[in-house]
Amino acid sequence: MNTSVVVTTLLFLSVIAIIPAGGADLPPQAEIVCIQCHSAQPGKLGEPVKLWRGSIHAANGVACNNCHGGDPKDAANAMSPARGFLGAPKETDIPAFCGRCHVGVARDYMRSAHGRALGKGGPTCVTCHSNHLVVKASLDIINEKRCSQCHGYEQARIIKEAMQLTETRIISIGGKIDTYKGEGVDTDRLEKGLFSVRNSFHTLFHDVDVAMVKRESAQINSNLDSIDGSLAKIAEERRKRKLAGVAVVGAALLAALLLYLLRRSYD
Amino acid sequence: MKLLSNVVDWLEVRLGINELVENYLTGYLLPRNINFWYSMGSILITIFAVQVITGALLLVYYLPEADKAFASVTDIMNRVPFGWLIRTCHAVGSSMMVLFLLFHLLSVLFMGSYKSPRELNWLTGFILFTLVQGFCLTGYLLPWSQLSFWATTVATNSVGAIPYVGQFLVEFLRGGKLVSPATLGRFYTLHIAVLPILLVSIVGAHFFFLERIGVSTPPFGTGESKNRWQGDSFRYEGHPGGIPFFPNYLLQDMTSIAIYFAFFFAMIFFFPAIFFPKDAFIQANPFLTPAHIKPEWYFLANYQTLKLFPNEFIGLSIQGAAMTFLALLPFIDRGKEKHPLKRPLFLACAVGGIILYIGLSIWGHYS
Repeated sequence: MNTSVVVTTLLFLSVIAIIPAGGADLPPQAEIVCIQCHSAQPGKLGEPVKLWRGSIHAANGVACNNCHGGDPKDAANAMSPARGFLGAPKETDIPAFCGRCHVGVARDYMRSAHGRALGKGGPTCVTCHSNHLVVKASLDIINEKRCSQCHGYEQARIIKEAMQLTETRIISIGGKIDTYKGEGVDTDRLEKGLFSVRNSFHTLFHDVDVAMVKRESAQINSNLDSIDGSLAKIAEERRKRKLAGVAVVGAALLAALLLYLLRRSYD
Repeated sequence: MKLLSNVVDWLEVRLGINELVENYLTGYLLPRNINFWYSMGSILITIFAVQVITGALLLVYYLPEADKAFASVTDIMNRVPFGWLIRTCHAVGSSMMVLFLLFHLLSVLFMGSYKSPRELNWLTGFILFTLVQGFCLTGYLLPWSQLSFWATTVATNSVGAIPYVGQFLVEFLRGGKLVSPATLGRFYTLHIAVLPILLVSIVGAHFFFLERIGVSTPPFGTGESKNRWQGDSFRYEGHPGGIPFFPNYLLQDMTSIAIYFAFFFAMIFFFPAIFFPKDAFIQANPFLTPAHIKPEWYFLANYQTLKLFPNEFIGLSIQGAAMTFLALLPFIDRGKEKHPLKRPLFLACAVGGIILYIGLSIWGHYS
C-alpha cells in the first residue's frame, strides 16, 4: 500500500474521530409567525413576546395561538378571524378564555367569592397570575401587596398559613422525585401522582373557605404520604446499593493487595 | 488429580500445550525494568470484555425502535433484575475505555514505544482509539433520550461543514435530513455488528504486531534509553534474563485490574449518575431543543475548539491536521532517543498538548 493511501485513510479516520465534536450551536427551532413578527415590534406590541418567553406556558410549549387562536404558520392570515383568531378577551370573558384549558380551576374560581364578583370589580385570572408572564402557581401568589389591591389581607393570610405546610411538602417531594429522575429512576407514576395531588391542592387556592381548606388539606396530605412511602422505598434501595458498593469495592481493593503481595513474593 | 493429569496429557499429545505454556507464559520474558504502565493493555482488554458482556445482556431487553427504545432502557434501569447495574457498567465502561486508551497512548508516547519498528502497533492503536470513539458516538443514540437525540443532531451536523460532500454525508449518516428512526437503525447496526467486527480485527492485528516484534524496553532504570533497532533486517526484541510473564507480570496485570475494578465500582455504586446529565433520562423530543447540550467529557476539547473558530470547516481542518500528525508521529519522529527527559522538544510539545487538551475541555465544560 503506498503512502498516499495510508495518508488518505488516516485523514478519513481523523475526520471520523472529530465528528462527535459537533457544532457548537444547536439548530434553532422554527418560530411561529406570531413570535417572528411581534418580537421585532416595539412597545406594547412586542412586550407580550418578552413576557411569554419567561412564562410556564413557554416552558411547556404553549404558544400564542394556543390561547389567541389564528394561524401560526401563515403571516398574512395569522390574525384572521376566519382562521380562528380570537385576539384579547374582554375582562368578563377572561375566566372562560383561560378555562378552555384550566377547566377545574375555572369552575372553582366561578364558585368562589372572587368569581362571584366577576364584572363587579372582582379579580380575574390575570389579576393574580398576570397575562403573558404566567408563572408556575404557588403560594407566593397570595401576598399582602396583591390581595390588598382589592381587600384586607387578614383572611388570605389565614388561608395561606393553613396551606403553607402542604405546599412546602409538595415542593419537597417534587424535588426528591426530580433528583431520582435525574438518576434514571422511573418516576412516571410518582410524577403523575404528585401532579394530581398538586392540582387538587391548587384548586383550594381559588376557594376562600378556611374550614374547607383545612379539611381538604388533610386528604391531600394522606395522598402525599403514599408518594412519600414510595420515595422511602427508593431511598432504602439506594442505601442497600451503597452497602453492596462498600463490599464490592472493598473486595477489589483486598484482591489488589493480595495479588500485589503475591507478586512481591515471586520477585 | 489423576483425571486432570489425564486431560492435560490428552491435550499435550494433540496440541503441544507444554510448548504453548513455555512460549507464551513461563518462558515469555519481559524487560526487567518493565513498569505499571505496561498493564494498560490488560486493563483495556478487561474493560472491553466487560463491555461485551454487559452489551450482550442489554441486548436481551433493549428494543432498537424509536418508539420503544427509551421505554426499554427505562425498563432495564428499573424493572430488570440488576438491569441498573448492567446498564450503568456499560455506560461508565465506555468512558473508562476512552480514559484508559488515553493513558495507554500517553505511556507509549512518553516511553517512545511508538518508534521504529513499532509504527504498525501505533497505527493500529490509533485506529482502535478512533473506533472506540465511534462506539461511543453510536451507543449514545441508542437510549433515544433527549441527550441522545440532540447530541447526535449536533455531531452529525458538523459533518456538513466538509466542502462539497458535507450535506451528502450528513444525510448518509442520518438516513435522511434529520435524526430519525432511520438514524437509530444505522447506529444500532454499527454499534452491535460493524464496529465490533472491526475492533476485534484491529485488536488482533495489534496483538499480532506485538507478538512478532516483541515488547519494547522502557527507557527508564537501565541507563540505556536509545532505540537499538537498526532497520537492516527483521529482528524480534527478546529479553534474555527478563521476568517471566507467568506468574510475575500476570500478577502485576491482575493487581492493576483489581485496582481498576475498585475505581470502576466506586463510581458505579457511589456516583452512578456521574456521566448522565438530566436530559439522559427524558425521552427524545424532536420538537423541543434542550437549553444546553454538551458532548461527553472526551469530546469537550474538540467542541471548544470548534467554537473558537468562526468557520466550522477551519475548526474541523485544524483538528483533522492535529489527529493526522499524531497518527503519523512514528514516521515523523525518527530520533533514536526514547527517554522523555532527553527529548526536550518532544516533552515540551507533549506536555503543552496535554495542558491544551485539559484546558480546552474545562473551558468547553464551563462555556
